[in-house]
Amino acid sequence: MTTSTAPIAARTASAGTLKRALALPALLFLVIFLFPFIAGPHYVILMFSAMGYAIALLGLNLLFGYTGLLSLGHAMFLAIGAYTAGYMTSTRITNFELILLVAVAIGATVAVPIGLLCIRYVKIYFAMLTLAFSMLLYSFLFKFYHLTGGDEGIRIKAPTLTAWDLSGLDTLSVLTGPLYYYVFALLVLLTALMRCLTGSSLGLQLRAIRENQQKAEYLGVNVKRYRLVAFVIAAVYGVLGGVIIAIPVGLADPTIAYWVQSGNLIFMLLLGGYTNFLGPLLGAVVFIFFQDQLMSFTEYWRLTFGVILVMIVIFFPNGLMAALDRRRWWST
Amino acid sequence: MSAQSRRNFLKLSGGAFALGSFAGAPAFAQSPPVKIGVLAARSGVLASIGECALATVQWWADGVNKAGGILGRKVELVVEEEGNPKETAERSRKLALRDNVEMVTGLISTGSGLSVGPIAEELKTIWMSWDATTQKDVEETLPNPKYSFRSTDNEVEGLMASLLTVKHFKGKIKTVANLGTDYSYGRNMWETFMAMMKKYDMGVTPVADLWVKVGTTDLTTFVASLQQAKPDLIMSSLLFTDAFIFVKQAHAAGLTGASKLVMPAGGFQLNEMKKQYTPEGMILGHNSMYFEAPNASPLLKEFVAYYKGKTGLFPHFEADRAYSAVASWKAGVEKAAQQTSGKWPSKDEIIKAIEGISVESLGGTFSYRPDHIPDCNFYMGFTTHNNPYDIVTISPVETLNTRDYQKPAGADFFKWIQAKQFPNLS
Amino acid sequence: MLASANILVGGVFHAAVLFLVAAGLQIVFGVQKIVNLACGSFYALGAYFGISALAWAAAFEVPAIAYIPILVGSGLLLAIVLGPSVERLLRLIYDRDEHFQILLTFALVLIFEDAIRLIWGAVPLQTINVYFAFGELRIARDLAIPNYNLIVIGAAALISAAFGWMLRRTRFGRIVRATAENKQMSEALCVDVSKVYMAVFTLGVALGTVGGALVVPAGAASIDMGVELIVDAFAVVIIGGLGSMPGALIGALIVGFVRSAAIWLYPEFELLAIYVIVITVLIVRPQGLLARTA
Repeated sequence: MTTSTAPIAARTASAGTLKRALALPALLFLVIFLFPFIAGPHYVILMFSAMGYAIALLGLNLLFGYTGLLSLGHAMFLAIGAYTAGYMTSTRITNFELILLVAVAIGATVAVPIGLLCIRYVKIYFAMLTLAFSMLLYSFLFKFYHLTGGDEGIRIKAPTLTAWDLSGLDTLSVLTGPLYYYVFALLVLLTALMRCLTGSSLGLQLRAIRENQQKAEYLGVNVKRYRLVAFVIAAVYGVLGGVIIAIPVGLADPTIAYWVQSGNLIFMLLLGGYTNFLGPLLGAVVFIFFQDQLMSFTEYWRLTFGVILVMIVIFFPNGLMAALDRRRWWST
Repeated sequence: MSAQSRRNFLKLSGGAFALGSFAGAPAFAQSPPVKIGVLAARSGVLASIGECALATVQWWADGVNKAGGILGRKVELVVEEEGNPKETAERSRKLALRDNVEMVTGLISTGSGLSVGPIAEELKTIWMSWDATTQKDVEETLPNPKYSFRSTDNEVEGLMASLLTVKHFKGKIKTVANLGTDYSYGRNMWETFMAMMKKYDMGVTPVADLWVKVGTTDLTTFVASLQQAKPDLIMSSLLFTDAFIFVKQAHAAGLTGASKLVMPAGGFQLNEMKKQYTPEGMILGHNSMYFEAPNASPLLKEFVAYYKGKTGLFPHFEADRAYSAVASWKAGVEKAAQQTSGKWPSKDEIIKAIEGISVESLGGTFSYRPDHIPDCNFYMGFTTHNNPYDIVTISPVETLNTRDYQKPAGADFFKWIQAKQFPNLS
Repeated sequence: MLASANILVGGVFHAAVLFLVAAGLQIVFGVQKIVNLACGSFYALGAYFGISALAWAAAFEVPAIAYIPILVGSGLLLAIVLGPSVERLLRLIYDRDEHFQILLTFALVLIFEDAIRLIWGAVPLQTINVYFAFGELRIARDLAIPNYNLIVIGAAALISAAFGWMLRRTRFGRIVRATAENKQMSEALCVDVSKVYMAVFTLGVALGTVGGALVVPAGAASIDMGVELIVDAFAVVIIGGLGSMPGALIGALIVGFVRSAAIWLYPEFELLAIYVIVITVLIVRPQGLLARTA
């Protein structure tokens, strides 16, 4: 399953293969870039949301795809991002960059102790422990309403950008215009960053740990440390995604942290292809748009989704990317 | 043929074709249908509430279309699901931006209301809400909504339940207990109740303050806890499945015999308040519609018969919240059209027309104040087994109007309660 | 003081329900190493199907004593219909990473949620004849425990004992335990593992459906009852130890009592208390209180 990192492979492969390999991601990014010009505002906002999910899934992919840890509580980090945005914009601090920075700080701070506890365990226990933590957060957000607003949550007001004067623009224009491209740039940046991380020795170590923990330990890999690093990185990506997803909603509420949302995240990841680097982006986009169409088509969309997930798990475990990319150039 | 004449020919033949295909169809075929978005809850605890409301809107739409539509346009419903706030925000944007609906109606949960309200204002979509209103909403997010028409304050039924308690039980009770539904609505109810107990010097002390997580189906421990506390009166804001499960389990444990029971919103579960376990003499609230109101209009009778025939159940008050919302909007459109000589009025004109309008709804006369909050009847009373059904009914039915029992625009609720002289109940 | 007895019984009642569902989780995990996220869904299906069965039986005016057998029977029937089909589906991915098995059961949660709405509708359902049909245990003038609660507790205890006996004393039980401990060895010893898996899974489903059916007369069936319960059930098996049947019992009792105590003493912490205990157990003794070794 493990292929070498891109530069090594590029030396051995022809230029044509490299071009073909870059074609799909380039195409995807191009479509997303041009989207506000080709699609209606409702769809552009969906794409905005999908970009947020893609960022969160990049992190989850690191945790699940590369490190082999299935988190059933990743939604808690999306919630942390959303509530950070809520608290800050409620106190009139609407600067987007500042919100992201603070969210990252909080997310990382929370992720370290939780990660330290969780990464000691694998497989089922890790899944159940992460589920327990996310439901703990859910209960806390619901119960301590004086702090968190309870079921009513915290309002998220429209953010402002440092380099761009958004005054005079209504929220819709912001979401389909300046902020959209800002988030797009962020997505590209974070994708590239993740590619570097997974292509680096970190990625190698994580894969080694996933394949055979004992062997990795014998080879001198500090399993716990690398798992924690993966967990925190995943958390940070999750928090960033959470901020972005929550902005069009305009509200941070406890349902974001519910365990079924974590299940949906894994669903998206599987759909796109967790063995594949582009899987998160593809999975997020396909899931969001398909859900949108499906919800209008039938009231039994959960049933449909369930059946699709069954099919994916049984017949297409490597997701869409594997189905699309037969050369498996991008798979790990 | 020249390009111009070709164009003319196409225009003419297209028009003729269109006319021809509609020949023989009812009068409104000439105008495009008027699309109304409906955000109805279909899953979770709100499912049965949303279902009833949706069925009511569909019944209304069918009736309107049979009578020729609105200004000759056929009503077409575009139904989307109310889920969590994120999903609901997405669906509401879809209705406004992709389906280009004239108006969106629906929403029950406050969280969804808090995210959809600002979206409606921004996208200039008229939103006729069924519920989804709280104090906080009005204060913080939409102090002066232009496009959103809200529902009555949550606190109204709490207030009425308190007044009935004061009227019938003053001097007879010393201890009270709270069995609240654990979210903002439940908290509003309890705060209202205790503020009223204080205002009227009831001299009661709370001996238990319990909160039931939404979706709970086993309340045996709550029942036992209440029995431990031995309150004279239990004020319960439970309104979902837990409402009737509580009464059932309380009856089995002997609690309903020992303590008086007040359930301001219990009417949601009227079909499950079976005589078998629901005591007589319980204060039960039916919000803005009671299916057997003493002076029930032909409209209500017709609807109840229709609903019972279709589902086997009596409709609960969400039916009225939905009906009044859409009926008011239609009345607003028609009223505004009087000024535009029959042409479809603009949104601003419709909004102006709805403010202050009065319609006949299932629960009686319904109107919108200038601040977009409604005035209507509220129904509440003591339960009785004296009826031909297997459920309890209320008798006598106290009919109160929000004009006297709902705080005016911009007022602080608790300050207003303190100062207000409520008219005596009949 | 007497009311405390009521709270105690309330706690045990809640524990009895949790135990049945958790036991279903345990047996499936213990033998097949699958964590069945859909155990709550089977519980919900059992509740709904039980109501339908009773409604159908009411047409024949069956006497009260028949209610319990009807409920249990409907639960078993549903399990026999659903269990093998679902197991066959899971069988397709036995050899895969166990993460996929969890995800498959998550898909089932989604499917069953809508299936229930499709078949029974969104309005909550209840049955009113059964709960009061067995009288009550009168403790004081205004204090009574419906005998039905005691029956449910008794049934759960009976099932628990029967299970223990089955696992320990019968040949089938020995085979199940052997397969759980060492699948390959059992196969080598000519055990038809796929048949064992089918039986065990169906048994796990049955515990859920029967649990749901038995509980529903005391409350009602609502469409999200399964999704809510799963978190409690997980808490039980984590505390008790994955794969351990006695662990399910202890875990259920702990969760049941903590819930009751919290509601009574510190209502703010009712929701949080369970998770805090779960996290504590996972940190201090991750294999659970009564886990089997290896």
